[in-house]
Amino acid sequence: MTVPHRKRWNVQTTYTAVLARRVRISGDFSTLPYEAGWAKEAVFFTQVEGEHPELSISTEISPDGINWLRRGQVEKLGESEHIAANALTVFGNWMRLVITGATPDHTARVLVHVSLKG
Amino acid sequence: MERLITYERQLGRFNPLRRVVTFDDFDQGFNGWMDLTPNFVYDNYESFDSAVDLTSWAPSMLSSASMRFAASHGSMEGTYSLKLTTAPVAAPHTEPPADGSMGVVLKRLSRFGDPNKIQIEAWYAYTPEQDRVGHGEEDIRAFGFYFDIQDSEYRYMPGVRYVNSLGGQLVKRWQYWKVGEDVTPEQWSFGVENAWCQPGIDNLWYGRRYEDGSTDGYQWVPGGEQDLLYNESPDKLNWLYFRLTVDVARREYIELQSMDRVFNLRGIQPTLAAKYRAIDNLINPIFYVETDTNRSVHFYLDSIVYSTE
Repeated sequence: MTVPHRKRWNVQTTYTAVLARRVRISGDFSTLPYEAGWAKEAVFFTQVEGEHPELSISTEISPDGINWLRRGQVEKLGESEHIAANALTVFGNWMRLVITGATPDHTARVLVHVSLKG
Repeated sequence: MERLITYERQLGRFNPLRRVVTFDDFDQGFNGWMDLTPNFVYDNYESFDSAVDLTSWAPSMLSSASMRFAASHGSMEGTYSLKLTTAPVAAPHTEPPADGSMGVVLKRLSRFGDPNKIQIEAWYAYTPEQDRVGHGEEDIRAFGFYFDIQDSEYRYMPGVRYVNSLGGQLVKRWQYWKVGEDVTPEQWSFGVENAWCQPGIDNLWYGRRYEDGSTDGYQWVPGGEQDLLYNESPDKLNWLYFRLTVDVARREYIELQSMDRVFNLRGIQPTLAAKYRAIDNLINPIFYVETDTNRSVHFYLDSIVYSTE
């Protein structure tokens, strides 16, 4: 008698994680190291609530979640804009998002999702 | 019709009760385990007033446990585990948890089959980030598990917490969830009036904390000292067995099992709170991890079985 295995669906997995939940930033900010080696693509969405300075948004990758280097396009989010996207495809396992432009005098309240698929 | 029941070979490392409700292997995805957040139902989608920022806990992830100098650790069986983590920030253990100093995951279930007993089992490991020299064990404050339960009369939260280290000093003792005597709602919620959380609800961050590691919401398990296997370096994981069994008919604890040690908790009742709106028959299993210092710590779940009888 053969024992059946758990059914494995032939569809991709997708998962949306919230990496920063309405965090008030007042300087350079990076999300916590995030592992997503199972995924083939990642799209980071940065949303800002209320007034904010122009922000520069970039993505970084890492071999270990400790040492980082930039990878991918840098996006600008102007004062009148409220949402931006950064995409990554070849990223290995570790990733994070970096946001610069906020200051103690001109802060921003940010909400960061990463949508993963693979 | 003759019914033939087989079970997956991987259940061989568990001792479930009669009905396996869920068996979650994180090689198969998140399986409905998600980060715990408060209720965003007030003006501007804000949550209720709280002295602890319940929106701040670190995001969980599917982890292959890759390390700084070692290769990827993988999981106990397979590649991926569910990893809880924390931000590199902590308040002293006598104060409320700092923003981001915990990781909390849960699965949202409900009562089914009118069980008398419910049980959670898991294989897990824990380690700090290898971002500095040293052994690292002393930087992991605690990890824990609890059920959030509401029946036709009460909401209550039976749970346990392994206090690993406080202020950099190893403790290595188990606690269970129960509120001490004469704790007022204001004391419980750190001074917030008419707080959403009553004593006995959300002991993991509410209730005053004391120098010896006891709190308004945690009591020490009798004989609860246990020198859990940590290994010798932040990049080495060993997978450990955990089980908590609860009598939901009598609303009391039955047993905590940690590796091969069984702690008898019969006769101990978690704190019973008044019912909350619209959550009758809720049963949520919840795991959490806490850092003790300005260092991220990680808690890896290879697999989890929730069963009832």
